[in-house]
Amino acid sequence: MATTTSPSSAQKRYRTLAVVKQEAITRVEKQLEDSVFVWPHLLIREFLAAVLMSVMLTVVSLAINAPLEVRFNVNFPPPAVAKAPWYFLGLQELLHYFPPTLAGVLLPGFVLAGLAAVPYIDNNPSRAFNDRKLAIAIFTMFVVFFAIITVIGSFFRGGGWQWVWPWQGEFFNL
Amino acid sequence: MGTSAKRGVLDQVTASVKSSQIWRSIFRHGYPDTPLNQSLIMMGNVFLHLHPVKVSRQAMRITYTWCLGGISFFLFLVLTITGVFLMFYYIPADQQAYGNIQTIQSAIAFGAITRNMHRWAAHLMVISVSLHMIRVFYHGAYKPPREFNWVVGVVLFLLTLLLSFTGYLLPWDQIGVLAIQVGSNMANYAPVIGDAVHRTLIGGLDQYPTQNTLIRFYTLHVLFLPLVAAVFMAVHFWRIRKDGGEAGPPPPSRSEVELNEAP
Repeated sequence: MATTTSPSSAQKRYRTLAVVKQEAITRVEKQLEDSVFVWPHLLIREFLAAVLMSVMLTVVSLAINAPLEVRFNVNFPPPAVAKAPWYFLGLQELLHYFPPTLAGVLLPGFVLAGLAAVPYIDNNPSRAFNDRKLAIAIFTMFVVFFAIITVIGSFFRGGGWQWVWPWQGEFFNL
Repeated sequence: MGTSAKRGVLDQVTASVKSSQIWRSIFRHGYPDTPLNQSLIMMGNVFLHLHPVKVSRQAMRITYTWCLGGISFFLFLVLTITGVFLMFYYIPADQQAYGNIQTIQSAIAFGAITRNMHRWAAHLMVISVSLHMIRVFYHGAYKPPREFNWVVGVVLFLLTLLLSFTGYLLPWDQIGVLAIQVGSNMANYAPVIGDAVHRTLIGGLDQYPTQNTLIRFYTLHVLFLPLVAAVFMAVHFWRIRKDGGEAGPPPPSRSEVELNEAP
């Protein structure tokens, strides 16, 4: 931190001119990083990604209408099955096996807290794939498990949450 | 001859515009085609300054990030713009909401495509945020010094789900209302606070969503959750830069390093 002293008064006044972190100081033995300017190299990639996304989204939105079911009426007979949005169908599938307090509240809470705690649980300093086999195996099993129960909840469950095959009827909404 | 004379006029106009007080009050530096101006624009522009001036060539590769974080943010912007358009025509009243959606879908210029974009972008955002999270995990990019930014990311993931979930009720169609009923019934089963949470979500003691529920979900959907998400996004993007930029492809493993060091 650099400081200046006011010459006219006995009282010292300090101004922060810059804070230089240790790792930011140029050291002779430190290798120069292979870096490029963000303008234009990164910004052109971000721009093209945005353009591509816009085109895709526009084409999809021209081709497929967002669903709109019949107006809700409490007196109408309910549909064969009331499904949550697709990203919650994994949890709804778990509700089929476990009591609601466990599957609907404690488990999602535990999953979120567990995800947030990942960097503090995983003390392995290495980022190389070969050094992280356990972490990768556990996480992969978690992702695959959730993907499978979400697909089951989406396409293999019909009226009364009974098992149906996809060709026996569609019970899925977007 | 004619072309060169025209170019001369164009050059003169360009030069006088660029040297005018108005132009120079907006742009503090020249076009960013020199290293100095390329640095100045990144440091001086409020939107661009979330990025560093330079990035590692390796970390910037499309096949490393797949642009998933950027796409998630872009979809958030698309959802904001299309959402504002939908707000012009949508009234969060249980007697009117469904009819408003039908009107948007059939009678408003660009109404159908805007609603479609809003819906599909919302689903896409859940997917892109999830994939972004999975990508970051496999690259170990949550490791020090980026631990806390991962936590911010988990909060943003939850906010994305909540934004999508609260939007699901607004059309007031059968599937939307019943999905919210299934979802908010879950709250009942939370130990101790279950009843209170359910009453807060539904806005009363009713079994089904009512007008009270609709206005709550609407306010959360269009105001509270987007604001909270914007704040967390600002922190998330800023911390990427402050924690040393993107982590970049993982370095060689311990055994590979040992192998290289062996004589």
